[in-house]
Amino acid sequence: MAFEGFPPLIADQLHYLLNHSPDSIKIENVWSGNKINPKILDRFTLVIPYCLETIKWDVIYNSEYAFDPPDFVFGPDDEDFMPCTSTITPDDDDHISSLKKALSEWDNEDSTRLLVLIQGLRDQYVAYQRRSVGQVDDDRVKFEISTVLTRKGIEMQRASGVDKPEEVKFAVPLVMDMNINKMVVGCPWKHQQKIYLQVVYPILRKFESTASAPRLRLVSSSELKALFSVEDVKLPPWMDGMCLAEYLPHLEETLERQIQEAVSAIDLRRSFIEALTIFLGRPLEANPTFCRQATFLTSSGQFTFMVHFFFSTQFPKQQPTLMLQSCQHLNQSSVPVKSNLLSEYPWSPRWEVGRMAERLCDFLTDEAVNFKKYCNEVVLQH
Amino acid sequence: MDDLSLEKIEISGSILASLIQRASSSPSDVDGLIFGQIHRIVSSNLSDDSPADSLASSDQIVATVTSFVCTGKTVSFYDPLGRVNSRRVESLRVDSPDRLIGWFSARRKTANRPSMRESAVTSSLSSQFHLPIEDSQNPKSTNMASCVFFLLTTPSTDQCIHTHEYRAYQFRSSKQRLEPRSVGIVNIGPAFRGHYGSFSPKSGFPPLICELDSSAMIVDRDEGSLGAKKQAAKDQKEIDALAEGLQVGDLKCLVGAEAASFTGGIEDMYEKMLAKIQSLASDVETSSAFLFQQEKHNRKLRNRVARIGR
Repeated sequence: MAFEGFPPLIADQLHYLLNHSPDSIKIENVWSGNKINPKILDRFTLVIPYCLETIKWDVIYNSEYAFDPPDFVFGPDDEDFMPCTSTITPDDDDHISSLKKALSEWDNEDSTRLLVLIQGLRDQYVAYQRRSVGQVDDDRVKFEISTVLTRKGIEMQRASGVDKPEEVKFAVPLVMDMNINKMVVGCPWKHQQKIYLQVVYPILRKFESTASAPRLRLVSSSELKALFSVEDVKLPPWMDGMCLAEYLPHLEETLERQIQEAVSAIDLRRSFIEALTIFLGRPLEANPTFCRQATFLTSSGQFTFMVHFFFSTQFPKQQPTLMLQSCQHLNQSSVPVKSNLLSEYPWSPRWEVGRMAERLCDFLTDEAVNFKKYCNEVVLQH
Repeated sequence: MDDLSLEKIEISGSILASLIQRASSSPSDVDGLIFGQIHRIVSSNLSDDSPADSLASSDQIVATVTSFVCTGKTVSFYDPLGRVNSRRVESLRVDSPDRLIGWFSARRKTANRPSMRESAVTSSLSSQFHLPIEDSQNPKSTNMASCVFFLLTTPSTDQCIHTHEYRAYQFRSSKQRLEPRSVGIVNIGPAFRGHYGSFSPKSGFPPLICELDSSAMIVDRDEGSLGAKKQAAKDQKEIDALAEGLQVGDLKCLVGAEAASFTGGIEDMYEKMLAKIQSLASDVETSSAFLFQQEKHNRKLRNRVARIGR
């Protein structure tokens, strides 16, 4: 990704930041603060993930005075976040000194510096939000903070607005005794997959007497969707008077079980595809790691066509979706004619794999005739 | 030193205009120091009730900005961490008649909120510098920190109707945060009377010794002595700073017996002062042109170092 318009040293630092940061930071806006040469870009907005949502920081370089480190303008709700002023609690000393070092020993030719600066500021922001949440006058939140902080990596955020009710968000990384990457044979993921629970506590207002249950949401890294979709997970209910320390182990157990089931589902899908080869021959293409997709080339008489299979993570409860694609007919845009997605055909999850394959291929034999007629019609319209 | 809250920050229209002009004509972001005074204004509520009630008068503390100094660059009197270097501040405020009340920062196309560095600088500045609160009723004045921060920005989007934005903040050390304050613009008019004292005139004529009973003949008598010559030369030098071609002797026609041709004398003096201003203006023009060339050259060198191609 080339950053045209940025001075080369700033572009280097930006490249390094976007490629090497452990969280996926994005750039939203770029613009110039230079009056004489407005084509030289030196300001941009970074969108940084925090607490399973994002925060936006403006980074302000000065293209006229390239030796100085950039300045930052934080979000409109974070007026009290002042990482450079020296009156901060002593237990943040390590964070402060690395940030101060990054700023006072700024070397604009070193491309790693911007990443170091942003990470230092983000750590400071975590500490600032933790202090801010600690000041909220709510017994439940205070209790949660005292019990749950033994876990590493919890991020908190205090959200309050003029119209919105005050809320406190927690993003808790779930700890399961398994390395998901290792459980999948031939796993292509570069980073460790993680699942987080986002808990939003509404703060009691004066007229409410009992605390309402918090809103819960599971969030996972996007690559995990190939194996296991967190949206399909039914969260255990939150009882009255429950707290995170009770809820989390229960949730983690459930998730562990479901992930193990998802991993064994890969083998089931693989055996189904292998069963299909008896009828359809070896697949043209198939995803070997997660077995979510397979394509076969087959024929019905003189008519040659391809069958695409799409498997959901809920296989075999949910039957695979089929799509047929002709090898001999092209439509008006010179694209091969494809059928609609077919998912209504005889199926039962209780059949064993060989029977599933057999019944599916019977269906295909009939469907091929319909599809051939459809293709001919499409070509005639052309 | 108490941590008092300012009611508002006042600035005269001409100073705000020159601040904005300075910020918008510079090629990059700039910062600088602002000078002024802090007054305690007691506004009493007049009422017909018993005197005990009318003592409920509100005490307002108002900061007035009377001048500024622009450094022409950012990170000028502080380091990138926001720590203020007091020696550099002292060297910048050499000529100003008033006290240091705070600082300003001008950034193009950014949000209208203080940035990380600006908060740090305001905090550092307010802990290092302070000024007395002028109070006409209470001679024993308390001190207050130099905590005013003026932020000038231009809007980030191009579709706005306005081209400049400004906000003023006060740094409260008890709360460790920057609080916005309203800005009052003082223009000459009925409301200006109270501020007349704060805007002291800058081109005051120097006091010169003048003999009331002198006539044209006695002038020659004194010029012979060395002491008189030295005094005359000194006086002439002071007058030359204000008017061109005006002699010390000409001033005598403004007082005493010669004051009959007062108007003519004043007009003459005024013309000569205008001539002086004219020559000063042409000096400023030539030196500005030279300065502009030098700035251009400096910018080329800076761009070369930052490897920005043309």
